[in-house]
Amino acid sequence: MNIVIRKDQWINLAIIASALWFIWFASTHFDEYTVRILNNIAIFTILAVSYNLINGVTGQFSLEPNGFVAIGAYVTALLLLDADAKDYQFDIESPYPWVLGLQANFVWALFFAGTFSSLLALTLSFPVFRVRGDYLAIVTLGFGFIIRILAINNPEITNGSLGLNDIPEFSNLYWTGGIAILAVWGILNIVNSKYGRAMKAVRDDEDAAIAMGVNTFKIKTFAFCTSAFLEGVGGGLLAALLTSISPDLFTFFFTFQLLIIIVLGGLGSTTGAVIGTVLVIGGAEWMRFLDEPMNFGLFVTPAMPGMRMVVFSLILIFVMLFAREGIMGKRELKDLFKKGKK
Amino acid sequence: MNFLEFMQQMVNGFSLGSMYALIAIGYTMVYGVLRLINFAHGDIMMVGAFLGYFGMAVLGLPFVAAVFLAVVGSSLLGMLTDKVAYKPLRDAPKISLLITAIGISFFLENIFNVLFGGTPRPFPVPEYMEHIINISGLIFSVASLMVPIVTLLLLTIILWVLYKTKYGMAIRALAFDVNTVNLMGIDANRIIMLVFGMGSGLAAVGGIFWAVNYPSVEPMMGVLIGLKAFAAAVVGGIGSVGGAVIGGFIIGFTEVVVVAFLPEYGGYKDAFAFVLLILVLLFKPTGILGINFDKSRF
Amino acid sequence: MRKLSILATSVALLVSVSVAKEIKVGAVMPMSGPLAAYGQTTYDGIVLAQKLQPTLKNGDTVKLVLVDNKGDKVETATSTTRLISSDKVTAILGALTSTNTAQVIAIADKKQIPVIAPAATNDKLTMRRSFANRVCFADSFQGKVVANYALKDLGLKTAVVIVDQAQVYSLGLSKAFKKAFEKGGGKVIKKLKITSGDKDFKAIVSQIKTMNPDFIFLPLYHPEASMIARQSKQIGLNKPMFSGDGVANQTFIDLGGKAVEGYMFTDFFDYSAPPTQKSKDFIAAYSKETGKNELNSFTALGADTYFLLVDAMNRCSDPSDSICVNKEIKASKGFEGVSGIINMDKTGNATRSAVIKVITNGKAIYKTTVNP
Repeated sequence: MNIVIRKDQWINLAIIASALWFIWFASTHFDEYTVRILNNIAIFTILAVSYNLINGVTGQFSLEPNGFVAIGAYVTALLLLDADAKDYQFDIESPYPWVLGLQANFVWALFFAGTFSSLLALTLSFPVFRVRGDYLAIVTLGFGFIIRILAINNPEITNGSLGLNDIPEFSNLYWTGGIAILAVWGILNIVNSKYGRAMKAVRDDEDAAIAMGVNTFKIKTFAFCTSAFLEGVGGGLLAALLTSISPDLFTFFFTFQLLIIIVLGGLGSTTGAVIGTVLVIGGAEWMRFLDEPMNFGLFVTPAMPGMRMVVFSLILIFVMLFAREGIMGKRELKDLFKKGKK
Repeated sequence: MNFLEFMQQMVNGFSLGSMYALIAIGYTMVYGVLRLINFAHGDIMMVGAFLGYFGMAVLGLPFVAAVFLAVVGSSLLGMLTDKVAYKPLRDAPKISLLITAIGISFFLENIFNVLFGGTPRPFPVPEYMEHIINISGLIFSVASLMVPIVTLLLLTIILWVLYKTKYGMAIRALAFDVNTVNLMGIDANRIIMLVFGMGSGLAAVGGIFWAVNYPSVEPMMGVLIGLKAFAAAVVGGIGSVGGAVIGGFIIGFTEVVVVAFLPEYGGYKDAFAFVLLILVLLFKPTGILGINFDKSRF
Repeated sequence: MRKLSILATSVALLVSVSVAKEIKVGAVMPMSGPLAAYGQTTYDGIVLAQKLQPTLKNGDTVKLVLVDNKGDKVETATSTTRLISSDKVTAILGALTSTNTAQVIAIADKKQIPVIAPAATNDKLTMRRSFANRVCFADSFQGKVVANYALKDLGLKTAVVIVDQAQVYSLGLSKAFKKAFEKGGGKVIKKLKITSGDKDFKAIVSQIKTMNPDFIFLPLYHPEASMIARQSKQIGLNKPMFSGDGVANQTFIDLGGKAVEGYMFTDFFDYSAPPTQKSKDFIAAYSKETGKNELNSFTALGADTYFLLVDAMNRCSDPSDSICVNKEIKASKGFEGVSGIINMDKTGNATRSAVIKVITNGKAIYKTTVNP
């Protein structure tokens, strides 16, 4: 028994070590384009594993990421920009004095980004989780929408649709990759804890979970707030990577992309979420050919801008209809090592 | 603001509200029976508007024939999506169904975008619909007057179907308990398909009248209206056809009142539907008509 | 003598063969996504311009590398990095909207790669940047053109402005207009806010009717502007309406129908009155290529980004030296572009004229040219 656990730990350590080595190797050897794609993958990994916690592990269909990512990005951007930079770029209205006063270093900025998202998630939990059923989906969809409208209509804080520019570029592969590893590790720990088991119980049979004495409201809220925290942090990293953010970045498409990632990887599997991210975000560059004119030898199809999105939605429907388990099902990486056990 | 402008704004609110109401009744029907938020509802409405557009602009059909084409086409599309995408998932976890619904919604938006482009197309509004009625300074078009009439007409028809026909009884029974319905020897799948057909047909009527009032059709037109219609249905009491109409009017009036009387907050117009939705969920999850959706539905 | 000339030609040939190289120019454009229609129109211009002038004076050829940013910021950042770090481009043309162009510039400025924007009009875009340039006019100029024309030529003194909160273009233009209009003695009675995607504007137009302004300024894009025009006419609000270049397309007239008769807007140029020899040639090439005569402003501006770049490259001893190219772009004076005469300044902004058009019998008719 002890030996099995040790083996697990060794595998985990080996994975983390090789991931760290890869981050170092990539930062020092790869060109900027590759590094940028890796940065995108790292950030979307954080978002995907946390989105998977509420959708896949707890089984509550939520469409929130674009809202919380936006919150995280704006909080981080406002904390990182100094008063001069803010004063200069606020063009529609002059900023509130307290907006100018906001200032923090990168670590605190990310922490506040996460905390603020988390607090908002807590407030949303009350209307949403009080009623059973699928209101969560529509409320979170509406929430993402409201966040965008707020960002557009409060130019004294957000600079409206102009967005915030010249955000100091703090994000690099060490930050994004490091936090991605932390996020995956943290989520896996939650999933394997008693909270994680309660989440799965809520997903598999809510009535049974209630009967067993699980406080489903508390469990759902916990999962939702944890997701929101990491999504806020991910948003912060994204802002410091892009160096400029605006409301049109956080449309529903953002959430849709994450949904594809976790569905493809296997709802409920954190490992699957990571694999899905690599496939979708890395694959998006490769999928470019879909929008271009295609030569099938006998006939040439004209360029069809937007074909990619059609393919995306078809993948989603097909996975749901014919391969509901996705790539990993509900399994994790470690489950692959102990085949004999099941 | 003078009295005339006040009354004009009320007329505006009424015409917008009846528009939302028209679309919300289709939404609430599907939800009432299946308890599925059909995210694609707004997009089927878009398809309906496009069918109407093709019927009139390309085939040169008269308006009524174009409406017929749109209703039939959208109903078939609704039944097809049910058969292909929703039926295989009847026993799957609810989340699979919702994800598929989102997928269908995105698919419809984007396939139309690829096929017909994202540039809005002018909807050929019949001349008589654009006719302006002026009652001592209060101005409205024939088209906007027709929307509440059509809504009331459809409401009556639906209630008649639900309460006076055999199918209606089966639908209401289905809303209570699927398993019992099956035990009674009724093919639940057929009834569900029928509901999808009806709901999608209603969406098409909504889409055409939307296009008549705001004469441009484009692939993304259904997204926001669909969401607002759902909010309207919840506010009124989801599952209740009458509630959907009430909810639609509340949201329509709220939007007009805000823009008219508090222009400073005009930018938030689109958010009110969701704020109302959240408030209703917080304080009265059963909606204004207070339907307890664990029990009755219509 | 003959021998000599053969020798000379062969030497020249040899030199050109050994020296002529391929210079890569990147283009970041929304070829898919919500902005695709504009992106494709603009890119058409760049491609045709490259076809007409594929080589530089010294024999180097220019190769275009297009990346689709899908109208999205993350994609814009990725595409720009790809162009600079793996394709090693000398300059970048694009992107279309001000927010995405700001993203391109943020990255390119650090790498000292010049950017030429075809249509991003936001005033702040080029400020505090060394490698940002554009061939279109900025919002402040367009706002001034409308304000002065309304005040002086039309004698309109009061205005209501409808601003789209979700569009950078609308915010910038409405601000510039208000400033210029009030400076000239006009009065903006009210700024009303809408959000793009809205369809129902009855509450807005009913208010405007009560305010009774001399005219309505709508710095919007065509979907919203056309609906507002229609709903205004419905309730009997028949005030003159004025827009910027956001409605300068046929779709606007199709959507607006009879309601947009008499509608005025600013544009960059008019294909029926080609301002330069280059525009005449380009329009001829364009109609040969597509069979159409109506050259869209965006196509003309796209072509001008390319022509301006090639012109600047020709003045550099090493056309792949991006710092020299950037300097020469900013030094371009009296440049004859497709869309008119362009004078660049140190800040990378273009000084150029604007035209005013009015919709008559379902056609946009050229009315006048306004010089800066």
